Amino acid sequence: MKYWQKMRGTTKSPPRVSLVEIAWSWLGAFLGILAVAYLNYQILSGTTLVMVIGSFGASAVLIYGAIKSPLAQPRNLMGGHVFSAIIGVSVYKLLPAAPWLAAPLAVATAIAVMHATRTLHPPGGATALIAVIGGAKIHSLGYWYVLVPAGLGALIMLAVALLVNNIPRTRSYPEYWF
Amino acid sequence: MVERLTADQGKTAPDISDEDIYEAMKEIPGYLDITPGDFKEVYVLAYRQAQERLLHRATAKEIMTREVAWVRVDTPLQEVAELMAQRGVSGVPVLDGANRVVGVISEKDFLKRMSSQGITNFMAVVAGCLRDKGCKAVGIRGRQADDLMNSPAVTVREDTPVLEIAALFKEKAINRVPVLDAQGRLAGIVSRGDLLNLAPFRGGKA
Repeated sequence: MKYWQKMRGTTKSPPRVSLVEIAWSWLGAFLGILAVAYLNYQILSGTTLVMVIGSFGASAVLIYGAIKSPLAQPRNLMGGHVFSAIIGVSVYKLLPAAPWLAAPLAVATAIAVMHATRTLHPPGGATALIAVIGGAKIHSLGYWYVLVPAGLGALIMLAVALLVNNIPRTRSYPEYWF
Repeated sequence: MVERLTADQGKTAPDISDEDIYEAMKEIPGYLDITPGDFKEVYVLAYRQAQERLLHRATAKEIMTREVAWVRVDTPLQEVAELMAQRGVSGVPVLDGANRVVGVISEKDFLKRMSSQGITNFMAVVAGCLRDKGCKAVGIRGRQADDLMNSPAVTVREDTPVLEIAALFKEKAINRVPVLDAQGRLAGIVSRGDLLNLAPFRGGKA
């Protein structure tokens, strides 16, 4: 296929999901983010700990909105956040004075590592990026960032996904664990 | 007639459109993280994979004809010819006293003896009859099966893969092969036509 012709696309968009599916996606995301946001703002406020990071918004799309996707399975959710967090913190520690370079390096490396470990989870890219650009509070966490918020936050969202996604007859989660 | 059967030639592309897949996706509740185009690609490749598996896994037992017309080594050729004519087959296995398949007689073996100029087809025999007057079969009158048969017989087992049989047809330039069971007894026969009964060729557009 010619280079320019490729840009026209080859197929059509998948169908719209049912209203029921939309409703369950909404409820799952609401409860999942509620859990981490409540911990962050009501329980951990005043401490140095953080429980909610931007990438969880993206994880919510997958684990409550596209629950059949390989990208949304527990292995990918947990592995994606934890590996990407390790990469993000490490790259920041290596290049604290050059965020313009640390940021792309962290994201690109996170994708490579997620691919290699079969844990590709798009929000992992954000988790790696936030470790670099997240500001003083995130930087002060050091490698704790890997466990809290990245690991623990993802784990809480996973628990909510397991509880909520399996309620409706038409839904089942996960497709696989590992 | 199947002249050559390879895994590649057996492949057919399933006739499925993006629209079919789109409709199928609508029936599955939940968001499927794949485009109809990608799904189609997976489907086509999986279909081919399945076809190849069927071609490799299918064995003689599944496609062989079980009602085999056969003769004894001492069956007179006249009876052999009558049997082949009656059953409408172009070849029969030849069994010895212990019921072992020791050879195969085919139309070609008759034609070989009946044509003078080394051309072994029916029209060569017709031409010879018209030219020389008289029946060319007279020369083998009174002979019996083991005078004409091809021996030793090329045989296969019930578990011989169909692809191997196809290769054998080509390699040995034969059109049928007797199938033996585990005890070495005649269990059936596979002809070139039987290959067409394979699942990948049934119903699909080959």
